[in-house]
Amino acid sequence: MTWSLYIRLAWRNVLRNKRRTLIAGTAVAFGLAALMFVDAINLSMTKNMVDSATGSFLGEGEISRTGFRKSFEVEFTVNDLPSVLAELKNDQRVTHFTPRVMTFGMLASPANNCAIQLVGVDPSTEKYLSEMDDKLVKGKYFAGNDQHDIVIGSKLADLLEVGLGDRVVVTAAQAHTGDLAQEMFRVSGIYFFDADELDKGMALIRIDQAQKMLNLDSQVSMIALDFHDRDIGRRPGDPFWAQYSKDGNEAIGWAELVPQLEKVFRLSKISQILVTVILFGVVALGIVNTLFMSLYERMFEFGVMRAVGTRPFSMGRLVVFEALSMAVISSVLGCVLGAALLGLTNFTGIDYSGIEYGGITFTKALYPIWSVHQFTLYPLLFLVFAAVIALYPAIYAARLTPAQAMRKSF
Amino acid sequence: MTDQDAVVKTEAVIKTYSDNGVPVPAVRGIDLTVAPGEFTALVGPSGSGKTTFLNIISGLDDATSGKVWLDGNDLAEMNGRELSDFRRDKVGFIFQAYNLIPVLTVEENIEYIMLLQGIDKKERHERVSAMLAKVDLEGYADRLPPKLSGGQQQRVAIARAMVAQPALVLADEPTANLDSKTGGDLLDLMRELNQTTGMTFIFSTHDRLIMERATRLITLKDGRIANDELRG
Repeated sequence: MTWSLYIRLAWRNVLRNKRRTLIAGTAVAFGLAALMFVDAINLSMTKNMVDSATGSFLGEGEISRTGFRKSFEVEFTVNDLPSVLAELKNDQRVTHFTPRVMTFGMLASPANNCAIQLVGVDPSTEKYLSEMDDKLVKGKYFAGNDQHDIVIGSKLADLLEVGLGDRVVVTAAQAHTGDLAQEMFRVSGIYFFDADELDKGMALIRIDQAQKMLNLDSQVSMIALDFHDRDIGRRPGDPFWAQYSKDGNEAIGWAELVPQLEKVFRLSKISQILVTVILFGVVALGIVNTLFMSLYERMFEFGVMRAVGTRPFSMGRLVVFEALSMAVISSVLGCVLGAALLGLTNFTGIDYSGIEYGGITFTKALYPIWSVHQFTLYPLLFLVFAAVIALYPAIYAARLTPAQAMRKSF
Repeated sequence: MTDQDAVVKTEAVIKTYSDNGVPVPAVRGIDLTVAPGEFTALVGPSGSGKTTFLNIISGLDDATSGKVWLDGNDLAEMNGRELSDFRRDKVGFIFQAYNLIPVLTVEENIEYIMLLQGIDKKERHERVSAMLAKVDLEGYADRLPPKLSGGQQQRVAIARAMVAQPALVLADEPTANLDSKTGGDLLDLMRELNQTTGMTFIFSTHDRLIMERATRLITLKDGRIANDELRG
């Protein structure tokens, strides 16, 4: 019976000084909204980084000959390619896959030359995995059947001082013999990612031309993969990787292909925790300050309540309920403010494109990601935190003797 | 009257405060016995120890030394919780001002103690209605204290003090903030309730009206009883 009495009393006390409650509640609400926003930005940053790392070119996983990733030897090709391709074709977890031939080489123009990563791609399947075709700023992405088309990055084109239709020469070592092969290509497309490793260090040719030039027959260096569930690429223990890591091949996900991503995520997590601790600290001080102000202001009233028989525990309970009532108001305000902030930035976006973080260059603007936990877990945590923080003024109130309280009020 | 019958009995009660380490005696050894049904006034100049003594005999404050029995119970033997429950059940309080919980209505203020006692809703309502009738505040049950005059607020405080039928009602300067007409009416009300219910009243006051109506006048000076006068 007394629980409902004290809950009612707490609410009325909190609403007694509406202006103060509103000001204190808004200050606390800003903290909560900031926390929600930071969380949403972190989620967006994580997604954006994974998108940038995997969506631009890499893919969410790859299958290659064991050792290829370390040595990049051109003759280290995927073993038993036809059966791997057949298995992938029937695998429901895989949305797209594309074979690639990869090696290091030299690209030369009459004006300059540059070391590059030469990639032989199958344009019909590559377009589902990488964004090369979407990022084309000049020319076409392997239109027609010209075997001597080459697509390069804009910075590489600048370096070589070439444009569309200009001739360039690719030099690369052939498989098995190590003999140098040279082939002339004509620039058919120029892309721009705003990421140096792609814009300056990569050139794409057709896969059959690459196989011919590198003496690979129909072999490929690797198969890039995309999944329905992107998180497969984050879980090294997922059965998928064991299934395809056989016959001298290894299958690995993006988390292992770009190990710095996990480190960046850990760093983000830590910074999120730090922000949470700081914001909750500010909130704690705000709540304690407001409660003590209210307590000192009503000291005689507390004295009267104790005098007429309110037990010490009940006095403490009343203070905790007042903190909770204020926390409820602040949480509602915080959720509204947070939603407004997220809604606004979701509309405008935050342009991070071109900024490099943890070795990954953002290729898109950040759009904060809404999540249920931002509007449930954080307010709930906040309520629990408010109740814990309120214990200090609550204990103070409980320990007051009636005579002390009445004397303090004068 | 035997000691067992006394509502209040004190023996050599001393209270000394500390002001930055300097002992300040407020009560310097008071022996007092108050019988049931008395309408007693503690009078004396400011600083004579009236309020301090009132606080001690009601269990609001501890004595530095000495013994206090209230309704036969030794207050020194009770812990904080037991004292709270004891005050709730045995003592009614009326203070000079700010008596009421401003966010509770008149009815809620009066039933507050009964809520703490766990009395059921029906009985609470009946007793509140009866008390409101006694203090002439029928129709004010849903008002909040700030919407009442000072005299009306003190009437509510009287109703709250008496609704739980305590052994003793302590009133610390209950008329100090009221005009003489309102104060006189209030005092008549308390005297009437004292006579009809037999409840004991002890006042701490400077008010001549209370002194005139009191059946016993105890004068304190420098923390001691200077005079104890029984009147008709």
